[in-house]
Amino acid sequence: MKKLLLYSIIIAMTVLCTVVTIAFLTPNKKIPNYSNERLREMALSKGLKPVPASFEKLLELVDDASNPMTHEKIALGKELFFDTNISKTKTTSCATCHSFDKDLKNRGAMLKMLTQEDTKITDCAACHLQDQSGVDRFTFSQGDAGAKHPYLLNTQTILNTAFAKHFTWSGEVSSIKEQSAASLQAPHKLNIAPQELEQRLKESPKYMQLFAKAFSEGISFENTAKAIEVYVKTLVTRGSYDRFLEGDNSAISEEAKKGLANFISFGCKGCHSDIAFGGQSIQRFPLREFAQLYDVKPNFELLPQLKRFDREFPFKNQGGYLGKNNEHLFRVPILRNVTKTSPYFHNGAVAKIREAVDVMARHQIGRHLTLEQIDEIVAFFRTLEGDIVEYKIGDDK
Amino acid sequence: MRRFFVKVLVLIMFFSGALQIKLFGISWESFKIIQPLHIVSSLLIMLFFMDSFIYKHIRRYYFVKKINSVGGWLLFGAFVLVTFSGLYLFLVGNTGGDSLGILSFNLHLFGSFVLLALFLWHIFALKKQSMQPLMALFLFITAYPALSYSKITDLSLLEIETKTGKYHSEDWTNSTKCKSCHSEIFEQWSNSNHKHMVGSNPYYMVLETLAGEVEGQEFRKWCMSCHNPSALSLGHPKTTHAMDNNIVSAEMFEKNAKTLQDDFKEHGNFRVEEGVSCITCHQITEAKSKGNASYKLSLERQKYAFEDSDSDMGRYFSEKLINSNPDAHKKSYSKELYKESRYCASCHDEFHPQNGIKIVSTFEEWNKSPYNNPKDKTKHKSCIDCHMTYLEEGKFAPLKGTSTDGGVVKEDVKVHYFAGSNHFLAGLRDKEHEEQALQLLRTSAKLDIDIKDGVLEVGVKNIGAGHHLPTGVADFREMWLEVSVKDKDGNTVLSSGKLKENGNVEEGSRFFQKVFGDEEGNPVGLLFWKYKILLSDTRIPAGERRVERFVLDKNSVYPLQISAKLNFRIYPQWVTDAVKKVFPTLLDPNVVELVSMQREF
Repeated sequence: MKKLLLYSIIIAMTVLCTVVTIAFLTPNKKIPNYSNERLREMALSKGLKPVPASFEKLLELVDDASNPMTHEKIALGKELFFDTNISKTKTTSCATCHSFDKDLKNRGAMLKMLTQEDTKITDCAACHLQDQSGVDRFTFSQGDAGAKHPYLLNTQTILNTAFAKHFTWSGEVSSIKEQSAASLQAPHKLNIAPQELEQRLKESPKYMQLFAKAFSEGISFENTAKAIEVYVKTLVTRGSYDRFLEGDNSAISEEAKKGLANFISFGCKGCHSDIAFGGQSIQRFPLREFAQLYDVKPNFELLPQLKRFDREFPFKNQGGYLGKNNEHLFRVPILRNVTKTSPYFHNGAVAKIREAVDVMARHQIGRHLTLEQIDEIVAFFRTLEGDIVEYKIGDDK
Repeated sequence: MRRFFVKVLVLIMFFSGALQIKLFGISWESFKIIQPLHIVSSLLIMLFFMDSFIYKHIRRYYFVKKINSVGGWLLFGAFVLVTFSGLYLFLVGNTGGDSLGILSFNLHLFGSFVLLALFLWHIFALKKQSMQPLMALFLFITAYPALSYSKITDLSLLEIETKTGKYHSEDWTNSTKCKSCHSEIFEQWSNSNHKHMVGSNPYYMVLETLAGEVEGQEFRKWCMSCHNPSALSLGHPKTTHAMDNNIVSAEMFEKNAKTLQDDFKEHGNFRVEEGVSCITCHQITEAKSKGNASYKLSLERQKYAFEDSDSDMGRYFSEKLINSNPDAHKKSYSKELYKESRYCASCHDEFHPQNGIKIVSTFEEWNKSPYNNPKDKTKHKSCIDCHMTYLEEGKFAPLKGTSTDGGVVKEDVKVHYFAGSNHFLAGLRDKEHEEQALQLLRTSAKLDIDIKDGVLEVGVKNIGAGHHLPTGVADFREMWLEVSVKDKDGNTVLSSGKLKENGNVEEGSRFFQKVFGDEEGNPVGLLFWKYKILLSDTRIPAGERRVERFVLDKNSVYPLQISAKLNFRIYPQWVTDAVKKVFPTLLDPNVVELVSMQREF
């Protein structure tokens, strides 16, 4: 008995000593405090570039010879984007889900809605229009006549998609034009057949004129999608982060700078890359499968509390969507404006941005971030927030 | 060797315990480490070492060697007492209410000195009989209560707070945590308007969002400084509301803060509790009566070990630690300041953040009223004397009870209903709550009716409110007279203050309210912060009487039947109509009759 006690004490001491030695010998992995110049240099070298401040610069980046961005086309695209006439029941437009005000300077939509006499159906947009988030803020998207998305997928922001290479949650769509055409026809979105759409447009003198100006061949389904694509490409946002990159050191807080350093050093930038901070690739989620089934953090319970999740995701997979080819492959979402687009993930299962950062860190980069690191990263995300840029679109084309 | 161990371990237990005595004034950082160490090590030592040692020791000397020692038996008795009082403190705790708790605390405290003295005596007595008187003296000195207990004063530890300037959601401890010991207070608060000041308050959500739209998003911070200090301090740009899939959650109807409790269960303190939580009010360290959140709040409070733990075990343990020695807990959550009116005034006065124009002056009104009478304590009534005192049958009936489960029975437990004029929103969740607010409202006014030279005079006197009647966001409060006069034949001669079909009070009614106008003198409507010119103020100051005159038709046939009612509605219909466009499930606030009177002339 005494021997047993002795041995167990010796073993315990050895283990303790080993752990302590390892802890002391392991170098401190603290992210250093980078200088502003160094941080800027790092961000730019990783491709996390600013959104251009002028329309000409934007054109250099996003214009496409197969569908040039003329300002006639932009004007037409804008009309189409906000027109509820292009849905089956004439109640839904692109802007119903990708919500923001047609007049970007308008600061009275909510007051008008609250005080007008005739009580319409309540519209969440009234309060959230001013967010300029490009999403509906719902958990899952609802299209024309309230049709739910078959997989209960969350609406993604349309803003800054000009810089993306992949679209939709699976990332299988490779151009906005293609996606516009699909969204017009999808039963859970605008639900309108190409012939029906063409016919409706042809009945309108306004569209006859606008199409004639924008396209030589006039009204067609293809051209409708093209015009919407061109307009959507102008919907980009600039935040204080962009001003920081352009040399204004005081544009973002010290906390946000640390957040940016974390974002780069932890490897988030590996997938959330380029100007839009995402939309460039299709990746697996969750990447680290060990954490999928059970939450195994030691919790010192009398009976260990193994929290069993849904088999597939670190949250309840309402809707049952499994990504591209059912292989957990998802387009990397765009992080510009991410703080405005809760809830998060493909089915809107995570309500708060800090929780989303925590999930991503744990399951994608295998890190348990400290509260401070999470808060810093969120502070950095807030610098990516911004309103839609109102470019002066000259008569250059 | 074994005997040496016993000596060392007893000393460890003793000193780790003794260090916690306030007399030594060790820093909070050390305290919170020593406290759990003392408990855990004592438990382990007693369980795995001491009991077997004592058993063997007694067996060997008393039963085998037949040596009897009175000191030894005394020591054994002390051991038993100290052990059991310690166990009681840990498992049940000294909440202050039961005599057993207080007894265990003192037994454990003084018993340990007795124990040590007896222990030393027992050791030395065997070696040197002459040491006995010395040991007796030591026993007397160490156990003398005055020395180890009387000098207990304010913990100076409160001053060691270091402001790092960095807060995380963890520092805004979720109120659900307080529930395990303060269940009644939690329940009162959870249905009160203080809990439902943000996402679950439709009126607030609409107005904050509107203010953001009209004045720019930054302007929301003005609202948030009183309504949502936790989110504001953590850098959130706006207040959020919970969602239930694609529908706004029905949190405003929810009893006992279910969403909050669920959030805590799921996310712990990682998800911050928005709004005015327990922490918000109970961590205020300094307050000025200026309004607009003129208070200081410290999140650098003294936390017991494992207070922030995620696991149930840690939580359980931290509660035990608090209960076994709750002084620091009490001190850090309750201050004398909390009884003063200026404490409440830090939020219950309101001015425009840019132009300084006063919008709400509840504190100022009270300050000038006869209720503010610090010289005569019998006449002085502070905010909590009315708004945090229990009411029964229309009268203040201080609630006898406990604020901590199993704690000291108090003569006047300050109830956390925060009864005020807003009976309606509290009533969506809890009728008891609504009843408290209505009782309070009905103590406020008195009517009188008279006819002089063919003019009907209805007097309304503010007899109960220590501020104007009504106060608060007075342009969103509706108080008016409903008067009807019938002649001999029962024909209506005069009628005023009826509701119209659309729910609004008819024009020409006699309102007691202030009406805000903007720069051009137009009513501000919902945009109350646009207030520049006071269009009218017909509210009734504390203790004063206001007379409304109605000219009667000269040809009326007497006797006249006069009926007057003082009506109150928490929000005018047009405000509710606007809010319902965003929150369609909201109900219409009902009209409440505060007082009524009939007279015949």
